[in-house]
Amino acid sequence: MKWTPQDIEMYAKSKEYVDTVVISLFPVSFGQEMKQSASMSEFLTLLTNQLERLFTGRILTLPPFTYLKNGNNEQWLPLLKQWEKKLQEEEVKHIVYLTSDSDWKMNEAELEGTLIWMPSLPLETMDDSQKFTLVQSQVKQLQQLVTQKWQENE
Amino acid sequence: MSKHRVSRRQFLSYTLTGVGGFMAAGMLMPMVRFAVDPVLKADKGGNFIPTKQKVADLTSDPVRVDFTFKQKDAWYESDVTNTAWVYKNDKGEIVALSPTCKHLGCTVGWNTDKRYPNQFFCPCHYGRYEKDGTNIPGTPPQAPLDVYPFKEKDGYLYLSQAKPRTGA
Repeated sequence: MKWTPQDIEMYAKSKEYVDTVVISLFPVSFGQEMKQSASMSEFLTLLTNQLERLFTGRILTLPPFTYLKNGNNEQWLPLLKQWEKKLQEEEVKHIVYLTSDSDWKMNEAELEGTLIWMPSLPLETMDDSQKFTLVQSQVKQLQQLVTQKWQENE
Repeated sequence: MSKHRVSRRQFLSYTLTGVGGFMAAGMLMPMVRFAVDPVLKADKGGNFIPTKQKVADLTSDPVRVDFTFKQKDAWYESDVTNTAWVYKNDKGEIVALSPTCKHLGCTVGWNTDKRYPNQFFCPCHYGRYEKDGTNIPGTPPQAPLDVYPFKEKDGYLYLSQAKPRTGA
């Protein structure tokens, strides 16, 4: 389910079936890394949308967690922790973070949720059909990771 | 020269009627066009979208067929890709099923769970469907999978909007 009023209505009705929340982590940079950070967010948006289509009934995608990129991500950790705390109160069983920012790897242990790091691909240089096949294959891997996670906890 | 002299008064009233007529026509034409528009559009209704799937290549094993069409969402027009599971049944008829689970809308896969071969399987809450799309009682879905109306043109498969069925 997406973060739209229609989907949230559906979520409210069938909350007991939705036990997983997906949050994408978007770094925002300026200067030299500006383009790369834009490319990351394009890639992750496509990826989350596709993942949501596959698992509409069990996943809720939250609006992306957006943060200013300067140095490591230590300072954003408490904020993310607050989201986690709230989600746990809401009885969400699985939290999945999707990011292309490799710095989060250092903080992985401190996070309750599963961090999935996907290397960002330069989609802007590809034509539509290439893009489609590529995203599809990435989503497939993602799909396996998520189903694995579900099976572990059963 | 004509015997009938046009008076100044007549000349002005002719000109005014003429110009007024044009203005009225200019206003009415688009209005009429808007009013009639839905009728004109109805011809295109239920449009079939071409897929890359050749009808001759279909077998009794369901294959995944992707097809893309434009969807307008307020201001934003985007390409939407839909998927269908297509196969030929025992009678040789084509069946095109929507992969959207009737429970909460996840995407079902064919033969993806080893415990239940030759069934459509939903990874979210383990809903299952028979090959013909009928939901298996005891699993979460309460209705059979939607069916795409299809047609064959130049050997290729064309699909339209998925339609719900009544069933189990």
